[in-house]
Amino acid sequence: MSTLTDRYVQATLRRLPARQRTDIERELRASIADAVDDRVEDGGDTAAAEVAALTHLGDPARLAAGYADRPLQLIGPAVFLDYTRMLTTLLVSVVPVVAAVVAFLRAVDQAPWLTVVGDSLGAAVTTAVHIAVWTTVLYAVIERTPALRLTPDRPWTPDALPEPPSRRARWGELVAETVILVLVTAFILLSPVVSTEHDADGDPIGVLSPWLFDTGFVWVFIALGVASLGASFSRYYLSWSLPVAIAGSVVPVTGAAVLGWAAATDHLLNPAFVAAAGWPDGTGTWLTAGLIALAGWTLLQTIIDAFAHSRRS
Amino acid sequence: MADDELLATHLQELRRGTVVLACLLVLTEANYGYALLDLLGARGFAVDANTLYPLLRRLEKQGLLTSDWNTDEARPRKFYRTSEAGVALAGILSHDWDQLDTALRILKGES
Repeated sequence: MSTLTDRYVQATLRRLPARQRTDIERELRASIADAVDDRVEDGGDTAAAEVAALTHLGDPARLAAGYADRPLQLIGPAVFLDYTRMLTTLLVSVVPVVAAVVAFLRAVDQAPWLTVVGDSLGAAVTTAVHIAVWTTVLYAVIERTPALRLTPDRPWTPDALPEPPSRRARWGELVAETVILVLVTAFILLSPVVSTEHDADGDPIGVLSPWLFDTGFVWVFIALGVASLGASFSRYYLSWSLPVAIAGSVVPVTGAAVLGWAAATDHLLNPAFVAAAGWPDGTGTWLTAGLIALAGWTLLQTIIDAFAHSRRS
Repeated sequence: MADDELLATHLQELRRGTVVLACLLVLTEANYGYALLDLLGARGFAVDANTLYPLLRRLEKQGLLTSDWNTDEARPRKFYRTSEAGVALAGILSHDWDQLDTALRILKGES
């Protein structure tokens, strides 16, 4: 038996379970020999006939997959939809949370801005890659082990269609947003005159930094809040369009950026209040970090919302 | 034909499955892999060796074919033969094929 056939047979058997090998080897060798003989009879030398016969049989990996009844695909149609749904769900839910948590922890460490953003993005990418790899591996295993498909294919029914968010639910959100804005605005405006702490003269010490009021910056916050509410109302009453979406995204993004900046530059809390209330030194840092995380979250939410809308329309 | 590749795909889709029926019918007389490949090719059922050989084993595993090693000749060969279950399945498949043929004729207005 020539080496070329030997190598072909070995390459095929290598990919087969041991108990099948003996029988398949015998049959395969006989089949190859028959094919070679046939070609030699038609005129031609043995070596060329062997090459032709093996070429005709094709890639031994493919032949072995046929013998072993192995799929020649990583994830087949039976589980592909479950796979993509699982992957999307995990990516959309886990990655933003990890990114936010890392950004928060880095901000607490008072790392420079660039480090906060870089580490957060790095963690997001690493998490996404891990999720993608392990989910793919899991479903590739399920594809090859039918016993693992615990739930038999659930028949699809129209009940599974995604429901558009109801108008009433969105109206509820709008009302809640309005109430929150009014409360926050009241808190901001009353903060210099109403406080739990008082100085030596009995005057109240505002919880927010006096800088905000001295520079009039506080009005920027309130204006942004009102604009954000306006954007929400226009989203409710106008049908989705690109200009509305952009206007709706610009406001929260600006708000998040301004809030983050004010917190990071220590222009948010009144240091005198922190001292008078006897809050621990770290309070300001934690609050800053929390606000930055919140700002980041708002930004992310806006982006996700925009994507969801643009896909729905 | 504008797109040979497309035509080839459609033909392949149409013929998929007929090889099984052809094997079950032709193997009522015992035969071995390479000879069967030749025979099917000659009868108009062109099939690749790397498709046919695994297919024979799959059908054997499903109990539609039985096999015997013939060691009378210098080269031992595995002979396959259609089992009773295989004959029964061939009957059902043939019947279905005839029904399809009738249905197509009706569609073409030849009835």
